[in-house]
Amino acid sequence: MKKFMTWRVWVLIFALVLGAVALAPNPWADGVEVVSVDSESQAVANGLNVGDILLSINEFEINELGDVDDALGSLVYVEQEINVKTNSGSETYSITNDILFEVDENLTISNSEMFEDGSILLEINGEVIDDYEEFENVYSELVPKKTIKIITEDETIAYLSREVPKIVVAEEKTSNLVFGLEFTGGTRVLLKPVGEDIENDDINNLIDVLSNRLNVYGLSDIKIRSAEDWDGNKYVLVELAGVTQDEVRDLISEQGKFEAKIGEEIVFSGGNNDIPYVCRDDGTCSGIRSCEEYNGGYGCEFQFSITLSQEAANRQAELTKSLSAVTSEDGGRYLEKPLDLYLDGELVDSLRISEDLKGQATTQIAISGSGVGTTQDLAIEQAYQEMKGLQTILITGSLPFDIEIAKMDTVSPVMGEIFFKNMILVACLAIVAVALIIFFRYRRIKFVLPVMLTLLCELYLILAFAALVNWNIDMAAIAGILAAIGTGVDHQIVIVDEVVHGRKEGRVGDRMKRAFFIIFAAFAATVAGMLPLWNAGAGLFRGFALTTIAGATIGVLLTRPAFASIVEAIDEREEEKKS
Amino acid sequence: MKEQFQELYYKHYKKLFFIPLIIVILALGVLVWNYSTTGDIMDKDVSLKGGTTATLYSSEHYDGLEEKLEEKFGEDFTVRDLKEFGSNTQIGTVIEVSNVNGDDLKIALGEITGLELNADNFSVEFIGGSLGESFYKQMAIALLLAYVFMGIVVFVAFRVPMPSFAVIFSAFGDMLCTLAVMDLIGMKLSTAGIAAILLLLGYSVDTDILLTTKLLRRGEGTLFTRLIDSMKTGLTMSATSFVALGIAYFLASSFVLKQMFLIILIGLLFDIIMTYAMNAGILIWYLKKKKVEQ
Repeated sequence: MKKFMTWRVWVLIFALVLGAVALAPNPWADGVEVVSVDSESQAVANGLNVGDILLSINEFEINELGDVDDALGSLVYVEQEINVKTNSGSETYSITNDILFEVDENLTISNSEMFEDGSILLEINGEVIDDYEEFENVYSELVPKKTIKIITEDETIAYLSREVPKIVVAEEKTSNLVFGLEFTGGTRVLLKPVGEDIENDDINNLIDVLSNRLNVYGLSDIKIRSAEDWDGNKYVLVELAGVTQDEVRDLISEQGKFEAKIGEEIVFSGGNNDIPYVCRDDGTCSGIRSCEEYNGGYGCEFQFSITLSQEAANRQAELTKSLSAVTSEDGGRYLEKPLDLYLDGELVDSLRISEDLKGQATTQIAISGSGVGTTQDLAIEQAYQEMKGLQTILITGSLPFDIEIAKMDTVSPVMGEIFFKNMILVACLAIVAVALIIFFRYRRIKFVLPVMLTLLCELYLILAFAALVNWNIDMAAIAGILAAIGTGVDHQIVIVDEVVHGRKEGRVGDRMKRAFFIIFAAFAATVAGMLPLWNAGAGLFRGFALTTIAGATIGVLLTRPAFASIVEAIDEREEEKKS
Repeated sequence: MKEQFQELYYKHYKKLFFIPLIIVILALGVLVWNYSTTGDIMDKDVSLKGGTTATLYSSEHYDGLEEKLEEKFGEDFTVRDLKEFGSNTQIGTVIEVSNVNGDDLKIALGEITGLELNADNFSVEFIGGSLGESFYKQMAIALLLAYVFMGIVVFVAFRVPMPSFAVIFSAFGDMLCTLAVMDLIGMKLSTAGIAAILLLLGYSVDTDILLTTKLLRRGEGTLFTRLIDSMKTGLTMSATSFVALGIAYFLASSFVLKQMFLIILIGLLFDIIMTYAMNAGILIWYLKKKKVEQ
């Protein structure tokens, strides 16, 4: 009598257990998980890690994503103005949590945008600072350290700090499966560099600038990878989960070559060399300044200040020296040529230079621009986005070359979810239909059950494999799973037929060999057919090819052998009962 | 009945083989005719031609949207409603166009429909013309390569040229007929459509390999019983795929998936003809000839 639990079945069970480890399912998870935290922050130094589940921050209980914003928001201090005097000059500016410079025990200033490195701190708000201790006292009075208590599922972290922990959170994962944009919503952009002789180094460079840009803009959930097609064309594929703002698309598709010119001469350009500091997220030097009705809609002006490097400031002084001043319509005296700001060759803004700046090496410059909309709110939002985009470009500099969008899709998160539910419904009904057909054909429930069980095992193992190698389950992968499972059922039918016939003729062994010959030949043909898809069309079909091949391989090596031995055992038992 | 059926295969196998051959030639004719009138064997959609596909999620139906857009941009638009299965309620509108970018389209749609379009109710897909063109070219080459590689595998498996050729020829004929039907019903080819054809290829080769294995391995029963055997198995396979995909076709809300399922469904029908008429015909012819030679 043939056994049910052959070694093939044990191998399958072993694979299923491994699959559970890979998937790590946790359907009841509803916590808030830390997905990224500034590695130099005190929160990390005190033991907070990526992957921790947050329970509370200070008195705020964390139950959903918004709670974290509330909790962190409570840690931000009220804005105040301070005056700092050093041996190289004095400045008055606004601070919230950070005094915006560092001093060592000799009161030497470093890491400051306002003061030159090496300046000596003299006074804060009129109080003379003699030593480091005094500095700490004054600082603590202005910005007292607060107790920050973070309770996670595993531990309690408490420390004194002024710093607002930079934590990015997400809903706790219910398994290791990652779903693609089609289900989560988001934007996928395929970028193609314009120009000849693009080398791999160029592409890596491009990827660096792009990721920097997106990080500076404030996005964490991004995937960027390079791709290549048969014609040797190189691409960069960017996936932004859950984000579909047009602004973001501009950020990655614009070269972002920012130039400030007087006449034809470049005074400064975007990036860290000429612009060491760009003011943002600080209402005193960056924000929406005014709104007015215009052409039946609204227009809002934004303004933010930037700090030029000494070198760029000198260049400006040199160029303005020879310009003469004219009186404008409003009576002010300005230089004859304005400072023109160009983004990717297009004039963004033209700043008049007041007469008293002639020949001066000013390092502070205000950049302005505008946004329009049908309502004032829309105009403000538009202006805000424009400003954020421009700030990002000024900070990160331009891309190494021009790029164009070769392909782009955005999926709305709401539709993604509806779509996902529909897929599950369709899959369930299709599986039931397959079960019915198998039942009509063999009239034996004993055959239907193993077929269904095997089908589900294959589905589960493909998903587990995807989780193991960190694949996104996207549309292409779903099509691949469909292919693998479809052929899986086909091959099980071949096995059942051969077993039933084989028993009648008393030569199950031969028949089974033949069944597996058919299965292996079909498997090899499928794999051969999928291989050319690897690089075709910038690799956008790779997910499809990979899932099909992985699914077919799992079927041939794990599930079908186990299925065959179970069917043999069932069939033999049936026969004995009859006789 | 059984005798007639057997006679069909034993005596008229050449006719059996010619019927699908004629169908394939007709299909080829459709493709060539399409080529001569439109410049390509298939009508391609924006995913292969380049262009913009926008989806607007709203339960309202917009009368004359297509005309309004065409008037505004002077381009050829395709507008279709997106309906939920069962209730048949409208859930959205899909707009396709070749030479208008997503931003312009979004603004125009906002104006026409009076909706405030955002990430929750508006999705857009854009593909550049040059990429679309190279996509199409590369996918076509990938398909041909897939046939060549599969041919090599089948030849290695059976080690006889004629039956191996028959397998690949049947699968190829299956594809040609499916493409021709798509042409005739005015269905445009998309990247997803090409993926569907690759899936079809997999299903198609499965049944052909099954048939060839059964007929070539002698020993049990007559040629005819082996043929019937393999038909029973093969048709069960096709039936499960057909019913599962048919249900999926009617219930899926994604237009892309619907299109893929429809292509495979059409292909599965042709596969039955190609496998049990064309491939079986060639195999019986081959086996008889071999017997005579021996």
